[in-house]
Amino acid sequence: MYTWFIDFLFSVIKLSTPIVFATLACDISRKAGVYNMSTEGNMLISALASVVIAGHFNSVWAGLLGGVLTGVLMAAIIGYAHLIGKTNMYLTGLAFNTAATGGTVFVMFMLCGEKTSTNAAIRSYTIPQLNIPFIRDIPVLGKILSGHYLLTYIAALSIFLVWFMLKRTRLGLRMRSIAENPQAAESVGVSVVKVRYISFLISGFLAGLGGAYMSMAYVSFFSRGMVAGRGWIGVSAMNMANGNPIGSSIAALFFGFTDTLSVSLQAFNIPIQFVNMIPYVATILALIIMNILRIRHEKAAEKARLMSVMEKEAASLEK
Amino acid sequence: MKKLTALFLAGAMALSLAACGKPAEPTPTPQTSQPSAENTDPTPAPVPEEKGKITYIIGFLGDKSMNDSGYVGIQTLESQGYEVQVIETNSQADKYADYVYDAIDGGADYIVTSSGLDETVAQIAPEYKDVKFILFDMTADYVPSSDNIFALSYAQNEGSFLVGMVAAAMTKSGVVAVNVGKDSPTINDFVVGFVEGVNAYNPETKVVKGVVGSWSDPAAMKTLCETQYRDQKADVFYQVAGGSGAGAFEFAVENDCWCIGVDSDQYTAFAESENPELAEVIVTSMLKEVGNSLVNTFASIEDGSIQWGTTLLAGLADNAVGYVDNDFFRATVPADVVENISSIAAKVVSGEMSVKSYFDFADETEFNTFLQEAGK
Repeated sequence: MYTWFIDFLFSVIKLSTPIVFATLACDISRKAGVYNMSTEGNMLISALASVVIAGHFNSVWAGLLGGVLTGVLMAAIIGYAHLIGKTNMYLTGLAFNTAATGGTVFVMFMLCGEKTSTNAAIRSYTIPQLNIPFIRDIPVLGKILSGHYLLTYIAALSIFLVWFMLKRTRLGLRMRSIAENPQAAESVGVSVVKVRYISFLISGFLAGLGGAYMSMAYVSFFSRGMVAGRGWIGVSAMNMANGNPIGSSIAALFFGFTDTLSVSLQAFNIPIQFVNMIPYVATILALIIMNILRIRHEKAAEKARLMSVMEKEAASLEK
Repeated sequence: MKKLTALFLAGAMALSLAACGKPAEPTPTPQTSQPSAENTDPTPAPVPEEKGKITYIIGFLGDKSMNDSGYVGIQTLESQGYEVQVIETNSQADKYADYVYDAIDGGADYIVTSSGLDETVAQIAPEYKDVKFILFDMTADYVPSSDNIFALSYAQNEGSFLVGMVAAAMTKSGVVAVNVGKDSPTINDFVVGFVEGVNAYNPETKVVKGVVGSWSDPAAMKTLCETQYRDQKADVFYQVAGGSGAGAFEFAVENDCWCIGVDSDQYTAFAESENPELAEVIVTSMLKEVGNSLVNTFASIEDGSIQWGTTLLAGLADNAVGYVDNDFFRATVPADVVENISSIAAKVVSGEMSVKSYFDFADETEFNTFLQEAGK
């Protein structure tokens, strides 16, 4: 049971990694005031690009770089459509995802004559797994935290970097102010288009990492539709914490947890339909709980505000 | 610059739409897994008489599975004098009816399609009695709604029975797994046959069943295999999971386990590929020979023996299912097992032995009890 639990938590981290990347990609956009739903498609395109480029140059690092740059390029295209072309972001995101679903298969067929998967036509490369010297030796934690793919550690680092960028840098402040009130930000000389463009590029960078993880770490090939909703789960996780990178990453881990649970519980003769339902029911429950907490918090804040107003009124009356 | 970007965007959209499934010219599938003699023969046969037009409507060609296998049969029929058209739907269910009407307008005499379009066909067929519909990969208990429909069902339990014996012979830990994409009666028929085969070889061997929950999530399949390997000590994996299945092969390479492929010869698909190590873990594959069954069906149409309005259960005896018995299989599996399996296959063919099917169970509860017994 004890080792089972360690293995279980190891799997949770492994399964959560792509969701964390997707979530952070959505967070960045959300915090710049854009509801970006194109992560699913962007991850899919980046996953294909990683495999193709790694196979072409016979190098996993070329593949990783290529995947990430593709993610950035795709985000730049979406950003161009939304910010310069003034397209509706919901429609652009949905159209982009649909185009990515068909487009990746089309490109895969053009490049290697395959319509299902690249694993016969393109040599597979895998991003190395890391055994971290000191962490490895910690009794229980070491087995859970060490031995993951490099990208998992980059995901963990990204959570902090995104948080730091949003909370502690000038760019982050500008993003948040634009999300609050674009007109006000514009009036003090912040270029809304420029800042949002940057947010798109960072978002694409993170989606690119997520895509590369899918096709060069999780498995080492591209197959049609392989992102399988992880980008959408990222949108959900972002919503659960309203774009806060720490909170939404915890939500992402929670989704990874329910995913792992749905695999592990199959061994205990629990009806599979029920097991497969868990992540989605958990999502609804979590959203309800989050919203109840949020409403309660807002009510308390409103009450406190009213109280202070009343106190002031009372004080002025006394005078 | 702006114009260029706009042009590029428009181009990209057009390209991706092009991939989104319109009636396609028959795409030559690169290296088909089961090249038939007729197919590879480059000299066109002396122009035979017109036999009618077959429209083959499938999700997409190049699936290395049933659609491709069926296409091999369709090509054979083309060489026999049928006119052939292929329509790829890309599994867009809202357009199924349009594609079938397109096929009828295009002058199809026969529409050959798979179980995904069964409801569409059931609706349209009664209105167009002069067009004949052939549905493949239906369940054995399917009842056609009209007398111009002929349904083909495959005894996947018989093929799975044979590879189940292989699995039981190859396991070292005494636990084997069968991992499916999604639950359905047809898919569970694979599972039942497999469990029966494992038990027939060695009743002590445990069988665990896993469900990926998707036909296109190899990552989830890999995780499922890793979990079964770790927690339940499974070391032979039978994948019945379409696009998710490749995750099992990769898992097996990394963990030194065996896999059994499905639908087509998956060893051959990877043996000459860029990743030949994937082939080295696929000890055999359970075959669904859709192509053979289609050729047989059209032969029965020609000699008038076909019974329209019925479902035919095609099995080992009809050459519609089977297993891959190639050099790698013979080099990997002990000789007495190879002998044993082919003699049992002969018994199934002769009818001396019958294999239990999912459709033999009274209800789902009985099937679940059967599964739980297999896992003990």
